[in-house]
Amino acid sequence: MVDQFTDDELARRRAAGRRLAWALGAAVLALYVIGFFIQR
Amino acid sequence: MNTATTTVNGHAGHHDGGHHPTGILRWLTTTNHKDIGTMYLSFALIMFFVGGIMILAVRAELFSPGLQLMQPEFFNQLIGVHALVMIFAALMPAATGFANWQIPLMIGAPDMALPRLNNWGFWLLPPAAILLTMPFVLALFGIGDGAIATGWTFYAPLSVQGGIGVDFAIFAVHILGISSILGSINIIVTIFNMRAPGMTMMKLPLFCWGWLITAFLLIATIPVLAGAVTMLLTDRHFGTHFFNAAGGGDPILFQHLFWFFGHPEVYILLLPVWGLMPHVLATFSRKPTYGYRGQVYGFIAIGILSVIVWAHHFFTAGMPVPALLYFMYSTMAISLPLAVLFFCWIATMWRGSMSFETPMLFAVGFIVLFGIAGLTGLVLADVAADAQYHHSYFVVAHFHYALFAGGIMGVMTGVYYWLPKWTGRMYSETLGKWHFWLTVLSFNLTFMPQFFLGLAGMPRRIPDYALQFAEFNAISTVGSFILGLSQLLFAWNIIQCARGRGAPAESRAWEGAEGLEWELSSPPPHHSWEVQPQVK
Repeated sequence: MVDQFTDDELARRRAAGRRLAWALGAAVLALYVIGFFIQR
Repeated sequence: MNTATTTVNGHAGHHDGGHHPTGILRWLTTTNHKDIGTMYLSFALIMFFVGGIMILAVRAELFSPGLQLMQPEFFNQLIGVHALVMIFAALMPAATGFANWQIPLMIGAPDMALPRLNNWGFWLLPPAAILLTMPFVLALFGIGDGAIATGWTFYAPLSVQGGIGVDFAIFAVHILGISSILGSINIIVTIFNMRAPGMTMMKLPLFCWGWLITAFLLIATIPVLAGAVTMLLTDRHFGTHFFNAAGGGDPILFQHLFWFFGHPEVYILLLPVWGLMPHVLATFSRKPTYGYRGQVYGFIAIGILSVIVWAHHFFTAGMPVPALLYFMYSTMAISLPLAVLFFCWIATMWRGSMSFETPMLFAVGFIVLFGIAGLTGLVLADVAADAQYHHSYFVVAHFHYALFAGGIMGVMTGVYYWLPKWTGRMYSETLGKWHFWLTVLSFNLTFMPQFFLGLAGMPRRIPDYALQFAEFNAISTVGSFILGLSQLLFAWNIIQCARGRGAPAESRAWEGAEGLEWELSSPPPHHSWEVQPQVK
C-alpha cells in the first residue's frame, strides 16, 4: 500500500483530475448549448 | 519517511514557482487554497454587510404605512439586489470559502486539484458584484434608471421590459455562474482524486460529502439558469420572443427554467451547512456522529429530489391538476431525508457530554430555527394552502428561516468552529455568546411577525401597506436593525482573531474535535500536509 504521495503519484492524480475537469466542463457546456435546441 | 517528506516539499516549492509575491500581488496571483479560502470568506463578509444595508433601508421604509424614504421603483431595486447579493455574493462565496479552506485539510490533500482555476474562480466574483451594484451609482449620474427591479427571479415579461439594470444583472449572473461552475469542478476533482491513502468515500468527512452533492447540483443547474438569462437577453435586444406572449412566446417557460435552477439553489446554499453541522455537534457532544451512512444517503436523496420539484414555486401560475399533485407530493417527499438528517443531528447530541461554546450555540439554534423553516415549507408545499399564502409575507418569513437561520447561521457556526484553526487564535467567547443571543432574538423579532403578516394577507414586495399591518411591520423593522447591528460583533470578533489578538489556539482547538484537519497546527503551515497522512 502506498503510504505517501510520491512525485509520480501526485502527477498521476493531477492528470486524472485535469481529465475529469475537462469532462465536467464539457458536460456543462453541452447542457447550456443543447437547451437552445429543445423544442417546446 | 524522510524521503517522502522531501519529495512532497519538492512539490510545494514547484507549486508556487519558488517565490512569494507580497502585498496585493500575493492575493491576485495566489494559488494557495488557504489564501483563496480567506479571500472568498472576506468577500462574503463584505457583501453580507452590503446586502444587509440594502435591506435595512427597505425595512426603514416599511416601518410605517405610506411612502417615507424612497419611491417604489427604488424599493423594488433594493429588494432584488439584496437577494442577488445575499445569495450569489455572500452565502455561496462563504460556503466556497469553507470548501477551499477545509476540504484539502480534511481529506489530507496538499492543495486543491486545480489551483490556478481556483484563483480564477475567485477573481471573477468582484467584477460580478460591481456589475450588480453599479446601476445604482450610474443612476446617480443620470445614466439608466437604476438596478434590476424585478426581484431576484428576473420574471418575464417584467424583465424583458426593464431598464439597463436587467442587462447588468444578466451579465453579473453569467459571471457568477462561471465562477460557481469552476469552483464546483475543482471541488469534485479534488475529492475524487486527492484523498489521502486509506480515505475511502465512506470515510469522507460529511462536510466534504455535503459539498460534493452541492457541486454536482451546481453543475447540473447553473447552465439552465445561464441559458434562461441568455434567452432573456436575446428577447431584450435581438428580437427573439422566447418569453414574450405577444410574439408567440411563453412567460411561464421562464418560470420553469428559472426554478429548475432556483429550487436546487436552496439546497446548494444549505448542503454545505448540513455537512458541517455533524462535525460541530459531534465535537461539542464529545461523541461520534450518529448515522454517518444515513446522512450521506440523506444528502444524495435530497440532491436528487431537489431537481424534480421546481414547479411548487409557482403553483398559482396555473398547471394541470396531475402536475400540481406531482409537484406537491414530490416536494413533501423531501421532508423524509431531511427528517433523517434532523434525527441524526439530535441523536448525535443525545446523552453526550455537551458544552455550549459559541459554535454549539449556533448549531443548536440552527436546528430549532431551521426546523421552523422546514415545517412552514410543508405548509407552502400544500397546493390548496399555497393558493392563500403565495406571494405573501408568509413566504418571506419562511425563506428567511431557511436561508438566514439555516444558511447564514450555519455559516456563522462554521466560522466560529474553524476560526481558531484558520487564524491560530481563539475568538472572544463572551462576544460570541452576545452575538448569538442578539442574533437569535432579533432574528425572531424580525421574521416571526412576518408569518402573521402573511397569514393576515399582506403581499410581499410592496413599499406601502394597509393600516392593519402597521404594528407587526414596526416590530419587524426594530428587530431587523438590532439584527443588523449585532452582526458588527461578529465582524469585530473575526477581525480581532485575524489581527492575532486572543489566546493562541492549539492544533486541536476543541477538546472533542476529530478529523485530519485538527492534526495540523493552528494556523496550518503554508503548504498543507507536507507529510501525507494515513487514514485507517
